[in-house]
Amino acid sequence: MLKFSLRGVTAPGHPLWMCGLRPFFLFAALAAPLLMLLWSLFLATGMPLPAVPGGPFVWHAHELLFGFAIAAMAGFLLTVVPEFAGGGDFPARPVRKLATLWLLGRLAFWLSGAFGAAMLAAAALAHLALLAGLARLAAPRLWRDPERRHLAFLWALAGLAVCMAGFYFDALAGASPARWLHAALGVFMALIIVALSRISMRIVNAALADAGVAGVEYRARPPRRNLAIVCIALYTAAEFLVPGARLSGWLALAAAAALFNLMNDWHIGRVLFRRLPLMLYGIYVFMAAGYATMGVALVFETGAFSAGRHLLTVGALGLAIYAVMSIAGRAHCGTPFETRLWQPAGAALLALAALLRALSAWPGADTQVLLVAAGLLWTAAFGLFAWHMAPLFLAPRADGLSGCKGTAIP
Amino acid sequence: MTLLHRWFAGIPGYLWSGWGALASLFLFVAAWEAVSLAHGPLILPDPAAAFGRLFALFDGGPAWSELAVTARRAMTGLALAIIVGSVLGLLAGLSLTASMMARPVVTVLLGTPPIAWLVLAMIWFGAGDGTPVFTVLVACFPVIFVGALQGTRTLDHHLKDMARAYRLPWRMRLTDLYLPHVVSYLFPAWINALGNAWRVVVMAELLSSADGIGAALAVARSQLDMDAALAWIAAVVLSLLAVEYLLLEPVKRELERWRHTEK
Repeated sequence: MLKFSLRGVTAPGHPLWMCGLRPFFLFAALAAPLLMLLWSLFLATGMPLPAVPGGPFVWHAHELLFGFAIAAMAGFLLTVVPEFAGGGDFPARPVRKLATLWLLGRLAFWLSGAFGAAMLAAAALAHLALLAGLARLAAPRLWRDPERRHLAFLWALAGLAVCMAGFYFDALAGASPARWLHAALGVFMALIIVALSRISMRIVNAALADAGVAGVEYRARPPRRNLAIVCIALYTAAEFLVPGARLSGWLALAAAAALFNLMNDWHIGRVLFRRLPLMLYGIYVFMAAGYATMGVALVFETGAFSAGRHLLTVGALGLAIYAVMSIAGRAHCGTPFETRLWQPAGAALLALAALLRALSAWPGADTQVLLVAAGLLWTAAFGLFAWHMAPLFLAPRADGLSGCKGTAIP
Repeated sequence: MTLLHRWFAGIPGYLWSGWGALASLFLFVAAWEAVSLAHGPLILPDPAAAFGRLFALFDGGPAWSELAVTARRAMTGLALAIIVGSVLGLLAGLSLTASMMARPVVTVLLGTPPIAWLVLAMIWFGAGDGTPVFTVLVACFPVIFVGALQGTRTLDHHLKDMARAYRLPWRMRLTDLYLPHVVSYLFPAWINALGNAWRVVVMAELLSSADGIGAALAVARSQLDMDAALAWIAAVVLSLLAVEYLLLEPVKRELERWRHTEK
């Protein structure tokens, strides 16, 4: 059993600061169930949420994208950038600053309704400073790589910064800032494709080796991936410029088709049904289904648009973060891959949450019950995750080493 | 049996690989939508209107019968071109003199625009099936003829000599040596000709017939009915795509597999 202690957690010597992903994955693991529990309570009982500009829906989307997802992304980048581009782990000092900025961002945004524009501006500063700090750490490393193979991470970071700045600009000007959140979701989808192409090569090929399959190799082919990213970028731009138009519907259908096309890489046999490959494959299934649903909704003017959007957020983004945190979180904390059942069970709960959330748009369905049920399933999935994974981020490495070094893939 | 098994096992993979093409097509439709948004439906109706009209035309409308008429003409012309072109091309390929003589004539035929043949055909055959069928035949013939000619001319002489030296029975020589080689030239030519036939038949009908898709297009034009015009165009393109990618492309892949060395 892992020994961990919360005493001295703020001190630089605590294991929490050993590696960049630890504090941020911990934040994400705790934020995910908490945020969704509050949202479910709001939906079920009308319990008030922190008053923010734009109302509860903006709070919900902002916190999950710019709070939860950004934390997961920060932890991921702080760990994989040194691994991909070299140069050793990032020092704890800047990481601690970034973690403080994340906490300040939560605090300031939650209080922005009560304290007005000054607090909102403070939230903007905290959020943008977090991204700027991440870019400052990551950019030199990514740029120094002679082939600059991983610059896509930097572009994604820049895209998110633009969305964030736009969001706070609109919010401070008194306009509805929701369109920037929708654009940010597009950036996250592209980022997932970029990140998964790196992760899946290792995971799926390791699974192939583990299954003793010879002569088959999994390769994430760049043209397919680029086509999908281009389609998603076009859709995101069209949705931003002419919201609700049929034009973005066709582009969403193009994105869905491009994602189904991307799955061609994955159709390499039974190994797909193993735990980790299946989890990663499921991310693409939800992403494709989400864009397809949104496309059909826009082209045929059905009411299921929000169902499609939540297949992207709950299904694709939620499952991607769950999968990546549970793979990288263990590997870089010096523990072997998870073999216990909670991991696939949590992924299944998350998938079910995405389906129920999508079904709530079905004509005649009991929307409120389904929404609350989906919210609670998400809470359960990430609660399970936090229960099993949070101690890992707070305890010293099981292999006695220090830093981020990943355990070899079995 | 293993061939059949492999054939069926490959179908899902082949169909799934179509998603990439579909993504590009959706991007194309989106570009169409953007142009129609910018210029208004009078210049270019949006895709939904055109597809809606197309659906109405097929659903209890006249589309099936018009499509059948057009398909009958295109296929008759194409079948004639395939028979005549392949036989003459193979024969010409057997003799060096004949192929030397044939080349300039083929160049003349290829260089003559189909519309010129159409004018002649309208005078010769009038408004019946004859005009489009003849135009298709003449437009497709040179392509197939050249394919067949090249197929026979490029046959490897060493292989031929070897076959003779080993006294291969004529049936084996035909099925294992001549046919695979010639077909690998002929089949792409046939597919090319199919696309040609489909395009040319619509043009011929537009100018000369009272029925068929071409004639329907002419009616749409005279009534300035952009929706219907685009719907008919979509019908032509979609049916060609369907035939090509669902029928011919898989056959072509199977036939040309021998070109790639087995792993």
